[in-house]
Amino acid sequence: MSWSINTALRNRNLGALVAVLLGALCYSSGQDVALRAPATATAGNPIAIGTSGSGSATFYLIGPSVSLKRDDIQLGQDISLSDKEIQSSGRYLAIVCTNSCSNAAFFVAPAKPSTLTFLAHPSRVPVERGDAISAVAMPFDEFHNLVLTSTTVDFQLAAKGSAPVSHKVQTDGGVAWFRTNSGKAAGVLQMTASLDGVSARRVVQQVASDPCNLRIKGARNPKGISVETEPVRDCAGNPVPDGTIVTFTARNGNQISTVDAPVKQDIARAQISTSGPVVVSAASGVVMGNELRIGGQ
Amino acid sequence: MKAIAKLHFVLLSTITLSFFLAGAMPSIAADSRLDVSLDSTKSAPRQVESLTQKSIVRDYKLAWASLAQALESNSPAPLNGLFEGSASEWLNQRVGGQQRSGLSSRYSNQNHKLQAVFYAQEGDVIELHDTAEYDIEILDGRNTIHTEHVLERYVVLMTPGVDRWVIRQLQSVPQF
Repeated sequence: MSWSINTALRNRNLGALVAVLLGALCYSSGQDVALRAPATATAGNPIAIGTSGSGSATFYLIGPSVSLKRDDIQLGQDISLSDKEIQSSGRYLAIVCTNSCSNAAFFVAPAKPSTLTFLAHPSRVPVERGDAISAVAMPFDEFHNLVLTSTTVDFQLAAKGSAPVSHKVQTDGGVAWFRTNSGKAAGVLQMTASLDGVSARRVVQQVASDPCNLRIKGARNPKGISVETEPVRDCAGNPVPDGTIVTFTARNGNQISTVDAPVKQDIARAQISTSGPVVVSAASGVVMGNELRIGGQ
Repeated sequence: MKAIAKLHFVLLSTITLSFFLAGAMPSIAADSRLDVSLDSTKSAPRQVESLTQKSIVRDYKLAWASLAQALESNSPAPLNGLFEGSASEWLNQRVGGQQRSGLSSRYSNQNHKLQAVFYAQEGDVIELHDTAEYDIEILDGRNTIHTEHVLERYVVLMTPGVDRWVIRQLQSVPQF
């Protein structure tokens, strides 16, 4: 009440001041009802709010996902709130009205974690990239409340051919996150986030990085020159994905012919139409291959 | 002269009608007294770009204006497209509860001080702490049953939608 008067005075709002004073008059003439809300409450657990006084009243409950009204509650008795009425975590306001209204506010805390929201990025990542993989986990209770008490999330990474790696992170404000390098070998990386028996799994596909060395070989045939690469691999020895483009360039004096060929089952092949002696080279991304000299027909 | 008189009449009618309509429309005056500021200096692991900061402030402000409108008019329609997931579900349930019990809530003089505490590396989720102050009036029919100046703290999760940031979690807490 003092706040309301102060606010009305501060805002120099005569109408509001009159309303507040009238309200105070009305309040004092009514029956004072004391409400006793629990100091702690947990989402999904029934509670009781104590009342004082006698006779009947109207009870209201306003919460994050609830607005309810109960007529004819008996003062002096506890008001029971069911598990379904306090499922959402947050601030609740209980109001009891007779001639005047009394209120009590209380907070409902989240229940224990029952699900983990797990965000893992990216879905495909080249091998041997620093801080390329990120993982974010957020624990929620069964009522979709974000669990804010600090707890430890265990991130586990498992890839074929290497020992599983565990990374424990404390949640801060309901969020646990970490970043890590991608592995050396291409293949599936299984990522699991878990806490208190709750877990979520994601898969990140680790793919070969850019080609590391290009070696080409070729031979003349009736149509010109047939050239092909040796199996194209990244620096860790992983075969590059099919479709990676290799550019073959054939130079014959001032004449230059260029052919783009996709890698198919580790090898890129091209047919170059030329009759004279040529120097053939290959490139993919920023990598240049060896030069190949092939004489004329 | 007749034409000028007619024009005067039309103008006067339009102005009068505008005043009437303004009075009849659900009050969204709270919108004009709704301040939102964002401090992103403590955001990790990623900094919040200035354009993103502006979008978040704009969309958070719009969301709260719409929340106030929905709870005052007892219509879930203003919530559409601004709240998703739990936040949408909870607010829709609250509006539904108000409709059933004949209650309504009026939010005014809103002031939200946001602090970005987590912004995912990929930019797909941001956690904000909102220290909010507002006046709330709860009505049963036309009778005011409660008025209060509230200082409330919210943990907010927002994610980028098609053309705006949407609120997925709006959870009040006793302290950060």
